[in-house]
Amino acid sequence: MLRNVRPAAKRAQAQPRMTGPLGSMRILDLTSGVAGPWSTKLLADYGADVIKVERPGIGDPSRGHGRFPDGVPDRDQSALFLWLNTSKRGITVDIETASGRALLLRLAARCDAVVHDLRPSDLARLRLSHDVFAAENASVATIAVTAFGQSGPYADWRATNLTSYASGGQHWLTGDAGREPLQNGGYQAEYQTGTWAFGATLTAVWDARANGAGQHVDVAGMEVQASILEIYLPDFAYRKAETLLLRRGNFASAAVGIYPVIDGHIGIHAMPKNWPQLVEALDLQWMADDERFADNRARLRNDDDLSAEMFVWAAGVTRAEAYERAGRHRAPISPVNTVADLLASEHLDIRGFWREIEHPGAGAMRYPGPPARMSGTPAEPRRAPLLGEHTSTVLTTLLGLSQRDVTLLARAGIV
Amino acid sequence: MSASKEDFIGMNELPLARIRVVDLTMVWAGPCATRLLADMGAEVIKIESARSWDMLRSLHFLGGKTERWWNKSAYFNHNNRNKYGCTLDLKSERGRELALRLVAQSDLVFENYRADVLGKLRLDYDDLRAVKPDIILVSMPSHGKSGPESHHIAYGTNVEQLAGLASISGYEGEEPHKSPIAYGDPNAGAIAAAAALAALHHRRATGEGQHVEVAQWEAMIGTIGEYVLAYQMDGSTGRSLGNGHVSRAQGVYPCMGTDEWVAISVGSDADFAALCGVLGLPELARDARFADVVSRHHHQAELDAIIGAWTAGRSQDEAAQLMQLAGVSAAPVLKIQRLMQDPHLRARGFWESVTQADAGTWDMDGQVWRLSRTPAHVRTPPPMFGEHNRWVLRDLLGLSDEQIATLEAYGVTSSAPDLAVHA
Repeated sequence: MLRNVRPAAKRAQAQPRMTGPLGSMRILDLTSGVAGPWSTKLLADYGADVIKVERPGIGDPSRGHGRFPDGVPDRDQSALFLWLNTSKRGITVDIETASGRALLLRLAARCDAVVHDLRPSDLARLRLSHDVFAAENASVATIAVTAFGQSGPYADWRATNLTSYASGGQHWLTGDAGREPLQNGGYQAEYQTGTWAFGATLTAVWDARANGAGQHVDVAGMEVQASILEIYLPDFAYRKAETLLLRRGNFASAAVGIYPVIDGHIGIHAMPKNWPQLVEALDLQWMADDERFADNRARLRNDDDLSAEMFVWAAGVTRAEAYERAGRHRAPISPVNTVADLLASEHLDIRGFWREIEHPGAGAMRYPGPPARMSGTPAEPRRAPLLGEHTSTVLTTLLGLSQRDVTLLARAGIV
Repeated sequence: MSASKEDFIGMNELPLARIRVVDLTMVWAGPCATRLLADMGAEVIKIESARSWDMLRSLHFLGGKTERWWNKSAYFNHNNRNKYGCTLDLKSERGRELALRLVAQSDLVFENYRADVLGKLRLDYDDLRAVKPDIILVSMPSHGKSGPESHHIAYGTNVEQLAGLASISGYEGEEPHKSPIAYGDPNAGAIAAAAALAALHHRRATGEGQHVEVAQWEAMIGTIGEYVLAYQMDGSTGRSLGNGHVSRAQGVYPCMGTDEWVAISVGSDADFAALCGVLGLPELARDARFADVVSRHHHQAELDAIIGAWTAGRSQDEAAQLMQLAGVSAAPVLKIQRLMQDPHLRARGFWESVTQADAGTWDMDGQVWRLSRTPAHVRTPPPMFGEHNRWVLRDLLGLSDEQIATLEAYGVTSSAPDLAVHA
């Protein structure tokens, strides 16, 4: 059951504020779900005027995802939607109709870039492509953000976060030996795709503004993931040896892993050069003089012994004790934080990381701040749009439609 | 509007062809950022020194006997292609001065030192701005440059633990789980590259540079932002769902062969009917246990057994393809070996052969930002240690060969690393 949405007249219409480093950029956003919206959210939080296009009456499926305040479903209050669509303007257009498609093309002509997450078969059905957008506006860039990209035998495959993660190589490496491969928490395959699409979009607009001709950019999640397989893929590609290609559960070695402590878990990630500090932080100075642990090679040979010592040590400390010692001795040890820990973190609080954002339905909440702080152009994210909140404003101010035209289009179900 | 040189890039030049980057970063997060920019045409000059060189050079797995092994680490080479390599000891007065002269003719400086190092080197933002007023400095400390925990250090797996991701990862109902990769690194790297581009856009519009700080911990929290909001909505801290999902029926299923799996994910009733068709069990779509999203959720284990019985007799590719033919989301869980042979990436021309004098020839992953008019490639192999010293010192900074020889004699620049550093 959807809660009633307050009428538009009583809402303050969020206008684009033209601040942040991207204050002069306008993006037409045809994406939904996680990957595309994450990329355009980042653009919007840094000041771009992102116009998100949703299906009339239905909207982005993430509006139905949740969670919801007090567990009550409401298409304007889904946690996933609220998070991934901050700072955007939201309009509804049925792009499957001829009239809706025409509006879309007119909007594209007023934008620096169109970001979409459509497969080639979807684009063909909708008669959309970079060339179609560019015919209206030669300088527009088009960024395709999909799991498999716009060419190749899988280009029209359907994908979810799980299947996307599976295809990119990280999935098989995640989890315990002898058990099934494990996906990472949340929507990491999609977030990765979106994060890389963020930079791709900025590159394409940079280029288009320099020479007046927009390009098509194809960002494939499978390739993004394959490009960040740490040592695993590069080493195999070079040495042709499979020695590193194992699922190693929570331990790459005793010095790189997650250990249970009294009140939860901590993570240790000590490279060879961190060994002296690690020994200090663990208060196990005798290990520095033990020949089993004399150098990195010896430690790897005696990994089980080292692991046993570390488990015993960890069982006697709390997360806070381990972290405090780690900081004092500059050893790479961290608590495994929950989201509750994050919101209670003094460090993040003092740094002003959180942004309190008020939403007419969901109320005020603390949102994670922008991932990069820019000294000259601080970003101030705003709340996500209600479904269709800016349809009228955008169509009248950007395209010059009259309010009467908008009403007609709405009656016909086009906006 | 200030007219900057980059406004005149030609139609066929790579987008960042006129951008020069002084790259002080090492290991993965910083080099990942500058690799993205280098791939797009930026002239990235990686600075190392005999006493301070990239630790990844030591992760070569070639044994101790090979000559100049420091140029052969696949991991280092992966992260540094399309860059130039120059050695300058920033701790020496002369080295610092030369670095500043290089900064004076550059657009961006990247560093991922511990939070206090740049200041100790007297190369902070204000020092850089004094020689290049519109410089853009990108810093990537793990915990940030301020705050009570800024003295802490962290690698990529620590970052995902700090950021809360590990707490929601794992087999269902079991302990937190780490990513196989040092995930905090590439995440911060891609964010930093994009933030640098955002700063370039701002500079183009206003002529102003700025200092960009990417605290790697903070940069990762966004990837679980929905959990942060959910906690404030209903008090749920999030939990690991294994390969499951809050509403979809999904999992990974064993296939023919050793440790081969296929991932299959079903949402709507129509998807589920399609799945049942592929399984040859159309009546299953009308089974009360699986009739709708809620029923499927409650009977996931029974469904997993049925799907697993079907996948067990098939290869992961056949299983994925049969599902996709019926419109069901599915994909093979690709091992690295299979990923590199995968017909899709092959058809897209993803792999590129790279040759470097010491390391030889091997295949490298190609471009992830595929631009239609100016497609990018691996233009230059990863730099060997100090490979471009003469180009930087002589051609860019105007030193004579004699001066360079003197610098080398005093260890300000060098052509081989001090091997005791990363023993």
